[in-house]
Amino acid sequence: MKNISIPLFLLVLFVVLVLVSTMFQVRETESALVTTFGKVTRTFTEPGLHFKWPLPIEQVEKFDSRLRILEAQLGETTTKGAVPVIVNTFVVWRIADPCEFFNAVGTVTEAEAKLRSQINDTQNKVIGRHFFSEFVNSDPEKIRFDQIENEMLTELQAATKGLYGIEIKEAGIKQLKISEDVSKDVFERMKKERERQTEATIAEGTAAAKKIKTDADSMQTELLAAADARAKAIRAQGDAEAASYYKMLEEDPQLAMFLRDIEALKKILEKRSTLVIGADSEPFKMLKKMPELEPKSKK
Amino acid sequence: MEEQNDKDIQEQTQDTAGQAVSPGYEYLSGALKVSFFLLKIIMIVLVVLFLVSGFRTVGPDEKAMVLRFGKIRGRGEARLLGPGLKWVFPYPIDEIIRLPVQKKINVPLNLFWYYVKPGEEMKEAAGEKTYASATLNPLTDGYCLVRGEKQSEAAAVTEGSDYNILHSKWVLTYQITDPESFFKNCFVNDSKLEAGQNYADVIEQNVNPMLQNLMAEAVVGAMVNYTIEEAMYERSAGVTEHVRRLLQEELDKIGSGITVVAVQRNRIAVPRQVEAAFQAAHTAVQTKEKTISGAKLYAEKTLNEAAGPVAGELLQVLRSDDANEQQLEFLWSQLAGKAQEEIANARAYRTKVVEAARANADYLRQILPEYRKHPELVVQRIYMDAIEQILDNADEKIFVQPGQSAGTELRVLVNRDPALKPKKETQKR
Repeated sequence: MKNISIPLFLLVLFVVLVLVSTMFQVRETESALVTTFGKVTRTFTEPGLHFKWPLPIEQVEKFDSRLRILEAQLGETTTKGAVPVIVNTFVVWRIADPCEFFNAVGTVTEAEAKLRSQINDTQNKVIGRHFFSEFVNSDPEKIRFDQIENEMLTELQAATKGLYGIEIKEAGIKQLKISEDVSKDVFERMKKERERQTEATIAEGTAAAKKIKTDADSMQTELLAAADARAKAIRAQGDAEAASYYKMLEEDPQLAMFLRDIEALKKILEKRSTLVIGADSEPFKMLKKMPELEPKSKK
Repeated sequence: MEEQNDKDIQEQTQDTAGQAVSPGYEYLSGALKVSFFLLKIIMIVLVVLFLVSGFRTVGPDEKAMVLRFGKIRGRGEARLLGPGLKWVFPYPIDEIIRLPVQKKINVPLNLFWYYVKPGEEMKEAAGEKTYASATLNPLTDGYCLVRGEKQSEAAAVTEGSDYNILHSKWVLTYQITDPESFFKNCFVNDSKLEAGQNYADVIEQNVNPMLQNLMAEAVVGAMVNYTIEEAMYERSAGVTEHVRRLLQEELDKIGSGITVVAVQRNRIAVPRQVEAAFQAAHTAVQTKEKTISGAKLYAEKTLNEAAGPVAGELLQVLRSDDANEQQLEFLWSQLAGKAQEEIANARAYRTKVVEAARANADYLRQILPEYRKHPELVVQRIYMDAIEQILDNADEKIFVQPGQSAGTELRVLVNRDPALKPKKETQKR
């Protein structure tokens, strides 16, 4: 017993050491490669437990294969019509082929540097192929923004394929700006446009108000005219009705005329009148002299 | 295995203790016994700790995955563990990855806002005016380009100049809805965790920059399709929806496992350099509305004065060719205002004329029999009555004795009553 325990302990220790130096894990988020005396011999993109020869024969290099973001610098470039634009492009990329990546660039920092210049290059090339009016246009049908981004992605993918062992998943323009001088012109134009709009709005308002007023006035005239016509009709109706009574007067026109004259006289002199009357007239002559009455004898 | 070794050593010690003779040896064996016993305890404690260290709690708003030797354990739905206490083999066999799947994370995006000088942030946030130079510096000031108004003049202006500038601030709310895709695809720097940190703690700081980039792309790409009016007022909901859609498409394309919960546009503003012009345009709209409502008021008043509340309806019926007589009569009866006055006057006239005519006729008929019998008496009586009445009504009466000779002239000086006013036409006809 005494003799076995210590070797057993050492054996266990040895086994553990061997396992630690020969086994390695590849995480879901990683890819790995094994180099034999510095040369890449095997790559592992599947996660799990893997084996290798211990150091210094074989060595493991692991790479995070998840999606990374890389922003290029905000830079000025020109469109097809020589309009200066300031754009900021970014890409979403990942390490796809650990072997290529290891041989070509090795580290993420190095890869990013390479990628950055590639982005600038492609960005300038693609933007230079399109007119500014394809980025933004008053006619939405003519905007080709998506297409430009897609072109950029396709070209970047083509340019990096088989070179760095990376995969570009997405390329996008995160900022689209114009040069400082141009912004001044844009402001001028925006102001002019608003001023024109302001004037148009006020003119519209005035015109609309005027129309409403004139409409109302003409409606009023029309209504009053209709009412006037109706009033005339009513009056005429009255006159006609009155005329029917005149027939009755025909029984003694002379008397009727007399009565009418009397009425007229009464009415005319009803108010504010001053009468100058000859003292000879009836019945005022009585003021001068008592009348002589002769009773009529009955026959 | 180590435990087994431990036991062997212990047994050895016990064997040797039995043959002990010298007190020194006895002391040594006693000391060894105690130390081996302590070692045993430590071993047991270590084993227990090893086992206990495998317990992990998955929070109620979390989902977890177990990586065994780096590979996600389980198949299908079993790959994702729900909340509760879980036991996994400790490092280096298993690794548990917990992801907050309920948490809604907000990411602000202020990339499209103008540069605010240090010290003016408070002022700016309160909506006060801050200094703006005549231009926008593309390196510091953020903005989006939006399309110009579609107009006939657009053809005349030079190519590419029909666009405008807008500032905006956004907030994205996202949620991790596919933990596996998220874990596999989104870069989270979990290899350099500080003590006490786990994967979930560093998600936001790692993922937010990517989301900000993708969101910015979506905003730039969406905004070019809208005019200032549309983006600010008419279709602002449409713009945020557009941004959400573009962003979600991108996120799905790269397999991020992230779902956009909401896109909010917190602020939107025209550049400060042109704000005054926009304000003027806005005021003009109000002025226009005011002018029009004033005119409407006038129209209403005019019509009301002319014919009352039924004016509009009446006019409509009058204008129509097949006017309903009954309806028309009804409307006339509802009339008010000037038109009504006129018609009322006409009615009064009719009544008066007719009544007068009838009265005359009646009177004549009544006195006719008597008149036929004594014409002179009747005439005289009527005549005298009339004279009496006239004289009674007269303000002044002057009697004149006519002169004998024909050439005599009579002059009467009558004082005009100052209270008398020129007779006015009180009636139209």
